[in-house]
This record gives sequence, C-alpha cells and structure tokens, in this order.
Amino acid sequence: MDPDLSLVVVCYEMARELPRTLLSLSPAYQRGVSPGRYEVIVVDNGSAEPPEARQFADFGLTLRVLRCSSASPSPVAALNEGLAAARGTLVGAWIDGARLASPGLLHAATTAASLHPRPIVATTNYQLGFQRQHLSAAEGYDRAREDELLGSIDWPRDGYRLFEVATPEMKNPPFGPMLESNALFMPKSLWNELSGYDPAFTEPGGGMVNPDTLARACALPATQLIRLMGEATFHQIHGGMTTSSAALALQTLNEGSRFYLRLRGQPLKPIRKLGWVVDASKNAILACDGPSEIVAGAVGQ
Amino acid sequence: MATTLQDIDGDTLRAWMVQYITTVLDLPEGKLDTSESFTTYGLDSVEAVVMAGVMEEEFRVQVDPMLFFEHHTIDDFVQTYAKPSEQSLAGEKTG
Repeated sequence: MDPDLSLVVVCYEMARELPRTLLSLSPAYQRGVSPGRYEVIVVDNGSAEPPEARQFADFGLTLRVLRCSSASPSPVAALNEGLAAARGTLVGAWIDGARLASPGLLHAATTAASLHPRPIVATTNYQLGFQRQHLSAAEGYDRAREDELLGSIDWPRDGYRLFEVATPEMKNPPFGPMLESNALFMPKSLWNELSGYDPAFTEPGGGMVNPDTLARACALPATQLIRLMGEATFHQIHGGMTTSSAALALQTLNEGSRFYLRLRGQPLKPIRKLGWVVDASKNAILACDGPSEIVAGAVGQ
Repeated sequence: MATTLQDIDGDTLRAWMVQYITTVLDLPEGKLDTSESFTTYGLDSVEAVVMAGVMEEEFRVQVDPMLFFEHHTIDDFVQTYAKPSEQSLAGEKTG
C-alpha cells in the first residue's frame, strides 16, 4: 500500500546534521502519525561520502536514500528526483536536510492538508540560536556551540523546546510575511501541476528557488495557503549559503533577487496573504483572510 | 546610463522607490509617506536587500543594502545619495 505522506529531504555534506533531521522525522519523535503510513526519501546531492539507509535503521523510518543522478550546487535536480520518487498522496519537500522538525509537524501538515482539496501547507522557518545564524556565526556560533545548545534543552526529549533556543527567520510567525517554507506540503498532484522546482535556478543552494516555488504554488488556481501554528523547522548551522556569514547571506539574496527579477519579470516578495492559520493541536483554524463560509465548512470536517 | 547612485535624478529615484514599495507591500496608491521609516511600512531587512538588488537591475548601479539601514526613509536615502533634481536645484537658487 502506498503511504499517505512522503517527505523528500535533500542533503549535501550533512553527516552531522542529517541524522538529527531524520531522528526528528522518526515515529518515536513525531506525534500523532502512524509508522508505516509515511515514507522519507533522502536525496543526496553529491556528498563525498553519501549517507546510507542502514545508518538510520534504528529510527524506525520507511526510508529510501537516493543519490541524485545529476548532482550540482543547486538542490533543484535532487528535489525533483525525490518528488518523482514519492508515492504518497501528500508530499512534503525539505530543500535543506539540515532542518529539524517540531514533534507535531507531520500530524499538523496532514491535518491541515485534509481541510482543502488544493492545499499549500507552509511551515515557519526558524534557525537555532538566539539570532539569525548569518549574524551569530560572526560571533562564534558554530557546530560545537549548537551541540551545546541542543544539549541545554535535552533535545530530543521534548522537541517543542527547540522554540526556546531558536530565532524565527521572519517577523511574527506564522502570521507575518513569509518568504519561503523549508517544509512545504502539497498533494502530489499539485507538485506535478507545478512541475516541481524550476531547473532555471542553477545557483549554489538554488538561489531564490524556494521562495519562487512557494509563490508559484500559491498562484495556482483555486489553491489555499495554509500556515501551521505551533510547528516549525529549525536550521542547524552547516555552511549554508544564507546562514554562514552576513556577507554571504547578503550576496546570495542580492544576486538571487536580481536573477529572480530577470527570470520572472517581477521582484521577489514575501507572501503577505494570510491564507488560513491552522492549529492542528486544537483542530482549529485560528485566522483566515478568505470567505468565512469556506472556513466554517473546513472546520466542520 | 547611471554608474553610481549620485548619477540618478533624485525625483526619479524617489518615484521609483515609492512605486516599488507600494507594489511590493500591496499598499494603496498614493498613501506612502516618504518621510517615514521603511519599517513603518512593514519593509523588513530581507525585503530591503531585495530592493537593493532590484534597484541595481533597474538603474545599473551598485547599491549596498546596508545603506537602507543607515538612511531608513525614502527622503533621507534620496537626499543623501541621489543627484539633486532640477526642481530642487531651482528652488535653492530662487529661495
């Protein structure tokens, strides 16, 4: 039987970070999801020593580890290969395999997706540490400090304590402007409609491909943006394009926004439309900017 | 073609910034006060960096995004970096 949910996780040289990410997606950590009803597909994007599924055998995951057939500095090909391999009705894409999940994320995404026939379920991005990592890195924040930080909350005992030691990437999550979502969930049919991630984004890290994907998804006809309340992903520092240093973050964003403008003919901008904000733990839609009768219908399901 | 911000006419740059911010933030036309700070409109640091990139594309000049954090109103930014417009120069001469 095909799984209800597939998760596509892209990694590159994440020997330290990937095991934690997969642990955070495991049945022992995730609440309210049935083991065997979801699969995780890791796509390695050209690591010198690619991960192997047997390394994570203890996690109890239905796991496949693929190697991208055309590995490149951009994660786009790896993502699209993972999306093509996904068997679930609902598919979540993890463009950055260094991100930990909160414990109710999979349950919340699945619940939220069931509220609408064409859902775009977006989660908020956080970064571990008390300021964004392109700033904290300049003050000495590194993998060792991060290990200590995770130790200080006894992670993974209560994954919700990640919120105590992390910083949101955008203001006022999940209600504020949203540039991108690391864990983006859509039915497989919508991913197909979107043709996955756009291969035009060949820059290291994919440039602005993740904001582009969210924007294009929200622009598909009759879709509903659904933001998750109380769940998030948390970035582990690992040398990424926008988290290693302020200079690199500025350069990446600057060059990425220029490329985006040339490609799309319009400036990159965060999603300001609220959509629906769902708190799956309360089985409630907390806020919306759509017609109230639609929301009332969704809540009643 | 402009090579630095100082080659751009102040009125042109001001109008461009007003139009850009109005569009990106989905603000009502004609409601943006150029003496208020970018954060008042809701323009965050990421969007300021993006605006710098778009400005570079539009005017073919280099724009350090940090300038928006040092001069955080449209008026301040334009007065500091752009070429004084003909109109304001005329005003100075007659004033």
